[in-house]
Amino acid sequence: MTIFGLGPHGERAAPPERVSLLPEDCAAAKAAGKRVAVVLHTLNGDWTKLQISGMLGIFGDCGVVVTEVVDCGFSADRQVAELDRLIAAKPDAIVALPVANEQVVAAFRRVALAGIRLVLLENVPTGLLPGTHYTSLVSSDNFGLGRMAAAGLSPHLAQGAAVGILGFAADFFATNGREVAFINWMQANRSDVRTHVLRFGAVDAAADLAQRMIADYPEISGFFVVWDTPATAVSIRLEAAGRSIVMATVDLGEDVAISLAASKPFVSVAAQQPFQQGEVAARTTVLALLGRPVPAWIALPGIPVARDNVADSFQIIWRKPAPREVLRLLGMAP
Amino acid sequence: MLPHTAETAESTRTRGKGRPRNSETAGPSLVEILNLIRSERATTRQALERESELGRAVVADRLQLLSDLGLVDESELGLATGGRAPRLVRFSARRGLVLVATLDQTAIGVGVSDLSGNLLTEHHEAADLTAPAAELASRLAALFHWCLERQTPTTAPWGISLSVPGTVPSVGDSAFMTATPPVLPAWEGFPLVETLTRQFDVPIWMRSSVETMTMGELHAGAGQGLRSMLFIKVGRRIGAGIVCDGQLYRGAQGAAGLIGALPVISDGLTGTLDAMAGSDMIQREGRVAADSGRSPVLADLVRRGGDITSIEVSQAAQIGDPAAVAILTRSGHLIGQVVATLANALNPDMIVLSGTLVQTNDILLAGIREAVYGASHPLVTRDLRIIRSQMGSSAGLVGAARVASEAIFAPAFLKDWIIQGKPTLHPDFAAFRADEDGAAVPQPEPAPPSVQGRSGS
Repeated sequence: MTIFGLGPHGERAAPPERVSLLPEDCAAAKAAGKRVAVVLHTLNGDWTKLQISGMLGIFGDCGVVVTEVVDCGFSADRQVAELDRLIAAKPDAIVALPVANEQVVAAFRRVALAGIRLVLLENVPTGLLPGTHYTSLVSSDNFGLGRMAAAGLSPHLAQGAAVGILGFAADFFATNGREVAFINWMQANRSDVRTHVLRFGAVDAAADLAQRMIADYPEISGFFVVWDTPATAVSIRLEAAGRSIVMATVDLGEDVAISLAASKPFVSVAAQQPFQQGEVAARTTVLALLGRPVPAWIALPGIPVARDNVADSFQIIWRKPAPREVLRLLGMAP
Repeated sequence: MLPHTAETAESTRTRGKGRPRNSETAGPSLVEILNLIRSERATTRQALERESELGRAVVADRLQLLSDLGLVDESELGLATGGRAPRLVRFSARRGLVLVATLDQTAIGVGVSDLSGNLLTEHHEAADLTAPAAELASRLAALFHWCLERQTPTTAPWGISLSVPGTVPSVGDSAFMTATPPVLPAWEGFPLVETLTRQFDVPIWMRSSVETMTMGELHAGAGQGLRSMLFIKVGRRIGAGIVCDGQLYRGAQGAAGLIGALPVISDGLTGTLDAMAGSDMIQREGRVAADSGRSPVLADLVRRGGDITSIEVSQAAQIGDPAAVAILTRSGHLIGQVVATLANALNPDMIVLSGTLVQTNDILLAGIREAVYGASHPLVTRDLRIIRSQMGSSAGLVGAARVASEAIFAPAFLKDWIIQGKPTLHPDFAAFRADEDGAAVPQPEPAPPSVQGRSGS
């Protein structure tokens, strides 16, 4: 397993195996009767559902009760309000995905000050320190995901091609890493490729930005969007505009999987492992609640997915068979 | 200081005859008031009058000018203590930005901070510092641009502060870097400072990574509020950052704390601390232990095709591999003996250990603690805390930001740019840029209207 990125404070990644639970850990956690709250950016989407599913299984095995799963609707204000409410409710730990940087950092500090253990997913607001404010960050190797997407898109780009990159406007560790790595890979390995970058603040703004980009740069023949939900919206808009542009993204959602199987417009996906990530986050939380030392950053590698491995990758990632349409397009089902 | 051209010298010289211009005499009180606000020693007009011993009219006048320059903000109300709530005077830390970077042997970290040294954005990625310097400069510039693009509202940078893996000699009287010091062999002959100055048109400051990490730990980490602290970074090289009376001590040449060059004896062999206890030794000994079979964990790693670096040895020690534990313990004892000497000389409140090796296992930390406690005067260790840094490479970025903010607002530098509104218009910097470009020295921008007719103090 190679992790290409560095942690939010330049840490080297610890592998998921570093946070394993022994039977006596589960027994100790059961005896302690701990309560945990989960605070996520959204509850929509397969990625979130798999994360929660992975967490709940491990927490259940260890007798840790998840008292609530909060949907912040991508809103920093809502996340701040929810964290302040949770401080009063005093769970033993909070597993949270910070939706922003500066706007939420003070609220996360208040959680730490209240003595509630924090395990973060995918993002650390600048200024928060492991051991002082939070216990661990559990994330994908987002830098590796960006490289993977670029390497997968590259063979589909002609010499001297132009690529549109749609990043996320919020200062977010995960999407920053993907964007920087994608551009860096192209500069290092395809110096002939020109890149144009815009960043969307809201998911539903991505398609408009893509349309503006192809109006400004009609020579664009490839797109990279930093995750699958906005990427799918972009692909629909581009198709409606009659443009045939190859695309790469992160996360193997159902729509993207079908598109990969059809070889258009998606040709390269760097997939996260959300179920496993949820499990790792839960194991880290349990160990932290038992006072065991845990690494500051635990990273899971991505899985490069193209047409030839989309069916089996789908099973690995989502723990269910690939959609019927994927199998049909691959000639594996009627 | 940089040599002035005749024109620049004339434009900044106080007139010899008659009443001085009001804008000239306002300078010292502006500097004092701004630094009182910036350091939060005074947060209301009344407190400013008390702390500065300036009259009400002068304080009001200077605040108006600082407000016109965008350097202070009075829009917030404080808590009332009986009468009307006082208007708070705040430093506008977002008036400008500082670009910061840490260059390590194997990684680059970049970030953006406000003018108070608070980090707003940071990013770290693997890098090879033995690669050609031009490549490094190009990557650094690309990441700086990327960081700036992400800032809303768009704000101009006021300076760049670099943390580098080597000693940075003092630059004499100059307030900023005007040439690239010989820090790394790969940079030999490459004008890194000059290139970045040209690209971003801002002054540049540079310190060793140990110095910036010490500053970061002192201002945002475990050392906050301490007057005396030792910061020890353990890697290929072992260095110490020394804090005395709340200030980083750099020494005469900027070379304080080079403890890695001290001779130590281990198993009858004499060598420098770097060679006998640094990560190169740990890697080498780890490979020997794997080859000889003394370390089952490392031997298994080699069998599976893995490479052994000091990190693998460190991780093997953490899970109890006896040979790896012995290697880390020996290294810890050697470092601890040297650190104990420093501790006895300086009597610090705290010793902070940093570096990947310290962060990935407890054995090295235990070895250092054992040696320091065993070789120090009881008074030195009575309340001494020896801890591991929690800041990682962020300490270097935060510290670099502090280096820049302290330099930008150092009274001797500040007094010559404050009327212009930003340090990039400082006459010395303008002269340096003109010298670099081979062009005429630009005239300073006219002072804002509110400077006219100010009373002196």
